[in-house]
Amino acid sequence: MAHQAHAYHMVDPSPWPLTGAVAALLMTSGLAIWFHFHSTTLMTLGLALLLLTMYQWWRDIVREGTFQGHHTPPVQKGLRYGMILFITSEVFFFLGFFWAFYHSSLAPTPELGGCWPPTGIVTLDPFEVPLLNTAVLLASGVTVTWAHHSIMEGERKQAIHSLTLTILLGFYFTLLQAMEYYEAPFTIADGVYGSTFFVATGFHGLHVIIGSTFLAVCLLRQVKYHFTSDHHFGFEAAAWYWHFVDVVWLFLYVSIYWWGS
Amino acid sequence: IKMAALTRLSQALLRSPLTQSRRQLSAAAAGHGEQAARTWKILTFVVALPGVAVCMLNMYLKEQSHTHEQPEFVPYTHLRIRSKRFPWGDGTKTLFHNPHVNALPDGFEGHNE
Repeated sequence: MAHQAHAYHMVDPSPWPLTGAVAALLMTSGLAIWFHFHSTTLMTLGLALLLLTMYQWWRDIVREGTFQGHHTPPVQKGLRYGMILFITSEVFFFLGFFWAFYHSSLAPTPELGGCWPPTGIVTLDPFEVPLLNTAVLLASGVTVTWAHHSIMEGERKQAIHSLTLTILLGFYFTLLQAMEYYEAPFTIADGVYGSTFFVATGFHGLHVIIGSTFLAVCLLRQVKYHFTSDHHFGFEAAAWYWHFVDVVWLFLYVSIYWWGS
Repeated sequence: IKMAALTRLSQALLRSPLTQSRRQLSAAAAGHGEQAARTWKILTFVVALPGVAVCMLNMYLKEQSHTHEQPEFVPYTHLRIRSKRFPWGDGTKTLFHNPHVNALPDGFEGHNE
């Protein structure tokens, strides 16, 4: 039986990077086809392929790490760097939308009435649902920390309870935002106010959904005994991502909801 | 009997309040030791979730003082932009269109003379 003389993980050949790339191609071109020719087939196909790729690729990673022992300390360190770099790239992604918001709101053009909020825009009261949303996400940051310590201390039941609570808070946020989107007196088509508001908060909402899903997968894995008190990087990555989502919201709240109202 | 007396003596010494408080303090100082999960559990139920509840109450109270009237329609050209039709429905309504509060470029639906 062959053995490696190093602690690193030489990954076996895998089709998922290719299927992921194909999915990206089908989704982007599918989006263009939908916009111009009103057919959703290509985009739907791309979406299906994306979901299959994500499921199978991450399933393979769980198998490699949890069941086959490939995630040695150096490998885990690499995964940590990877997650940190990814989250950093997402920070820059949001930075762009904040740039757009401040560009338009600090020097409002005459077409908007020379003021911010623009003439005719009725803004949301920052001390109603947006404040509740802030409390919900901050609370979820507390519960996810409770979950982390529970895992580290081997408190299985507490970990499951606190993680479930975190996910429920995430769902509650999403529900509240969806209601806000429906009740808002302005739309995405209401000039630069609508564009900056819905694109920034919309991408944030998408990240909340992604983060909640990541945490839900961790919950499933915790129930199935994947995590040990010393080795639970999947959970840590999910918690980091969740804190990032929370911080982005705080910036959104202060900038767009509060200062921008 | 000497051994038993010795054991009982050492047990009594270990149970001294000074030793116990030293143990608790060192556990807290360890921070990420045995007490941390309990700390965050307490924070959850005493601070975080009540904070959410207070905000929910605030919402409920504010909602009652809302008028649910339709805002006045002014046909501003910088709002309700329709450069390109939306790829769904009749192409004139946004994704989260609410007929009660979202006017179309010509005005609110069902209110056109």
